[in-house]
Amino acid sequence: MEVEKGKTAKYRKEKNPVAKEVMENLKNFTKTKKRLMDALKEGDKTVPQLAEALSIPADEVLYQVMSLLKYGFVETGDIDDMDEYFYYKIKDNGKD
Amino acid sequence: MSEKKILEYDVLVVGGGISGGEAALNLANLDYKVLVVEKDLSLGGKMIALSKVFPTLDCAACITTPKVSEISRHPNITIMFSAEAKKIDKLGEHNFEAHVHQKPRYVNIDDCTACQLCEKACPVSVIDEYQQGLIGRKAAFIPFSIASPRAAAIDITNCTLCGACERACPTGCIDFTQTDLDYVVKAKAVVVATGFKLFDPLKIPRYGYGKYKNVITSMQMERQLAPTRPFNTILRPGDGKMPDNIAYVLCTGSRDKSVGNPICSQVCCMYSIKQGQLLMGSLPMADVTIYYLHIRAFGKGFNEFYEQSKEMGVEFIKGKIGNIKEKENGNLILRYEDIEEGKVKEAEHDMVVLSVGVMSNSEISDSFQGESLVLDDYGFIHQNDILASPSETNIDGVFVAGTATGPMDIPDSILSAGAASAETTSYLRRAVL
Repeated sequence: MEVEKGKTAKYRKEKNPVAKEVMENLKNFTKTKKRLMDALKEGDKTVPQLAEALSIPADEVLYQVMSLLKYGFVETGDIDDMDEYFYYKIKDNGKD
Repeated sequence: MSEKKILEYDVLVVGGGISGGEAALNLANLDYKVLVVEKDLSLGGKMIALSKVFPTLDCAACITTPKVSEISRHPNITIMFSAEAKKIDKLGEHNFEAHVHQKPRYVNIDDCTACQLCEKACPVSVIDEYQQGLIGRKAAFIPFSIASPRAAAIDITNCTLCGACERACPTGCIDFTQTDLDYVVKAKAVVVATGFKLFDPLKIPRYGYGKYKNVITSMQMERQLAPTRPFNTILRPGDGKMPDNIAYVLCTGSRDKSVGNPICSQVCCMYSIKQGQLLMGSLPMADVTIYYLHIRAFGKGFNEFYEQSKEMGVEFIKGKIGNIKEKENGNLILRYEDIEEGKVKEAEHDMVVLSVGVMSNSEISDSFQGESLVLDDYGFIHQNDILASPSETNIDGVFVAGTATGPMDIPDSILSAGAASAETTSYLRRAVL
């Protein structure tokens, strides 16, 4: 069967339904991303500050913030006065 | 069902790491046609993921990338990615038949320009194995920035099939209709270069790996030290603090009968010393302490490198770690036997690196039909005559290169690959004479 180029994902989806865990993972990432971005919109924050504000374990916050840094949503700010934790901020003040 | 495609080569090389790649290149330069079967999406194996190499502190990527691009571009070399040699059968002298299974990449490599628009469009974030789980990556992704080929792939297990990557792709190279492929490969000789596995520190629960987030493996530190690092700088994964007091636990999973691996991994002392030196450069205020049983600095320039690290301020304590406990602030208490003083002591560090050992990757032996490929006591491939012809296995015509034979460093792997290609050539010449 000839499948239209550029629409092959749809074709595969009809034959192989997506696992529940995969959709769940997407939902969780999207939700955490939004919460982190909203918290950073209020001001630059360190990982422990974000962890406290959102009640998410600090290791999970670091993982997500570093992923968002890689994906281009977040950038690194200054280091705190104790030279321990970096502040993170919305990249280019949220401009696209 | 359609017939399997039959392919013919002079040599089948299993494994596209630095050893397999080097062996393939040597053979291809002698005009033999070579097929490299690689299970991952990129060439370069473990070496391409390293920061720098000891004892010269050359950039690992700068040595590996020109080599892998030479392998990729060589007219006598064909590479199959996401592929495994499932069955290898010796039908007669200079007559091997292998069944190779290839998983789909869902991207046509030739059309992909590595523009990364699919990556940007993909809404899914999953653990990035290349960055040792320290950050995420997309389900439509380029394996890593210096991957060869630098082309996208779809992680079908984690893909939501939303189609965003396909819509974003300017060349239309994404194709979800791709299916598994099976080939029958006929070759005159086989080179096994399947490398090694790193020891899994979850097998030593008293070190707290997995439970305490600031206990990491040496490979995770290797990534943190590389230019293509996962974080903005070196940070402890528990809370993003810049560490200033780092401990190394040598012989994690090596020289330890309790975990079933009594042998020395040969590289951990030196890579830990190297990381110590690199940390001194990246975090000038940090203290680095290496807990060791014996320092084995046996190679050319190794002992000088060790002495140099001491001069730079790396501290060495001859001590065996009993256990590691976490404090509320994420710091770690190491309880250890100070071997020189004969006392049990405790020390606090804010990050601990487990220098994990080299384990065998012996699954390939299961692929051999008829005459089986013999392994040694530790699961590495048995060398028939380790002194006179170190690349020969128990099967005439099957040669072994690199860490598939046992733990060794990069220069030794390259030498071993050289030996394997020379012995393969000698075997192939016998067919002609």
